[in-house]
Amino acid sequence: MARMKFLCDAERCIECNGCVTACKQENDVPWGVNRRRVVTINDGVPGERSISVACMHCSDAPCMAVCPVDCFYKTQEGVVLHDKDLCIGCGYCFYACPFGAPQFPQTGAFGVRGKMDKCTFCAGGPEPDGSPEEFAKYGRNRLSEGKLPACAEMCSTKALLGGDADVLSDIYRQRVTMRAARGTAATPPWGWDAAYGRPDAQGQPVPNAAPPAPAAPGSKS
Amino acid sequence: MVDSSLVRSAVALLAALLVSIVGASASFAQAPTPAPSADSSSSSSTQIPTPPRTPENTSPAAEAQRQQVQPLNNAPVWREVRSNMPGTTTTTVVGRETNVLIQPQGQTWRTLRNSDISVFGGWALVVLFLVIATFYWVKGTLALHEPPTGRVILRFTWLDRFIHWSTAITFSILAISGLIMLFGKAVLLPLIGYTLFSWLAVLGKNLHNFAGPLFSLCVLMLFFNFVRDNFPGPGDWQWIRHFGGLISKHEPPSGRFNAGEKLWFWGGASMLGIIVSMSGYVLDFPNFDQSRQTMQIAHVIHSIGAVLFMLGAMGHIYMGTLGMAGAYDAMRTGYVDEEWAREHHAYWYNDVKAGRVPVQAADPRVVRRTPAKA
Repeated sequence: MARMKFLCDAERCIECNGCVTACKQENDVPWGVNRRRVVTINDGVPGERSISVACMHCSDAPCMAVCPVDCFYKTQEGVVLHDKDLCIGCGYCFYACPFGAPQFPQTGAFGVRGKMDKCTFCAGGPEPDGSPEEFAKYGRNRLSEGKLPACAEMCSTKALLGGDADVLSDIYRQRVTMRAARGTAATPPWGWDAAYGRPDAQGQPVPNAAPPAPAAPGSKS
Repeated sequence: MVDSSLVRSAVALLAALLVSIVGASASFAQAPTPAPSADSSSSSSTQIPTPPRTPENTSPAAEAQRQQVQPLNNAPVWREVRSNMPGTTTTTVVGRETNVLIQPQGQTWRTLRNSDISVFGGWALVVLFLVIATFYWVKGTLALHEPPTGRVILRFTWLDRFIHWSTAITFSILAISGLIMLFGKAVLLPLIGYTLFSWLAVLGKNLHNFAGPLFSLCVLMLFFNFVRDNFPGPGDWQWIRHFGGLISKHEPPSGRFNAGEKLWFWGGASMLGIIVSMSGYVLDFPNFDQSRQTMQIAHVIHSIGAVLFMLGAMGHIYMGTLGMAGAYDAMRTGYVDEEWAREHHAYWYNDVKAGRVPVQAADPRVVRRTPAKA
């Protein structure tokens, strides 16, 4: 059985927020809730990186551990889901989660929390797969249709990967190996270095003399 | 027969290990900080020395050097992310703290709630309940030594009782719904099932959210209504030394309230009341832009305060009902027998008899409405 995971390659993410939009569109996410968001570290500074983050579907999920009504469950594929019929809107999962994944649509005055909403890895909820009830509460169940999460499928630079952890690891390992090979002065700069130049001994990027040669068609990473 | 592929992979693994050790030592040799002595305790039977653990040098120069040695190593990025330094992370997604990539304090909150507060708090409540039950089993209800006189004294006016019972009712709602939220998953959920328990928890949460502000109002009224008779007075120290006569037979004399009641007033109703109220407001109204960490801290303070409050309340409720004859009637009707007053609050009894307590001397409305009851 596959163990589903998200992986965001910070060397590839260009902060286009396509994943955020894809998620909202695919799942009809409640107003005020963004199941996925892109965070940029040191925006505008050399060395800036962007990372798309949502529920990480933790093995030892803090939300599951602190939920007072035990509304979370984990599928055989390691996807952390929850039952909105049981959720009481206490906000404990939101306190515990390091990634800010659980969010609450405001349903009353003074910020009264409604039923928690979070990324489902496009795997719906406890209702029958693909049912209108499931869609209304949790959004599209793409996994049951044999598809991967919309955010990862939509990612234009393939920075955001979603799927079986073993496959994801293989892809990422391959990327890292190729980057290491391209990181030397003898090879043309790659990725951010291609855009802004390689960092010098002080960590400041030195602009490239000429635009790098385009990569051969079909080459990876 | 040994599988040849197994041997090959074992050799490859050893080679990879060797390469990584050489690489690690090379990178440590280049590290600007001198490495402390190698940790020999963890060296295994294969005699592979463990690389020394050095605190990572995070100066800009060291980072730049690391990028030369390990191109595209983004450890500094992640270090910065976890540090949660303001202004380093941004996002275009609108919302509170959406620019925070990782908020590690939630892990601390989880441990405190799940492993410390619920475990120690839960057992403290159970143990105190058993102690009180044992005490009741041994001592029973403390009765008057002399028969009641039949003459009654007004001990609590209608305002006293209204405030007391408003506080008591809201407190009970809060305590029960709070216990459901903290321990229900472990205690009640296995008994009544997911659907019913969730229904109960929704009810409890909403009652908690609405009774909370009412309770804090009650605490304020309680404070200003009873503070006059709760300042330390003569006999308090003696009362504490004799533990209120609970252990010995003789109960030291006290004013309108004894030292135990005064401690409950100051430490319990007032101090814990204010602590749980203030922390409760932070949790009850998440629309004032408070951060997650503020709410995590508020929750820890709230739940520790609430457990202490419930422990104190258990003692108070016991003494006010089962523990002592006449105590419950005093708060229900407002009147106590003269003998009760003489035995439990001798100084107050003397004051009332001498006419030094104005409210008790004349409150005709109350006297008319409440029939004198022994």
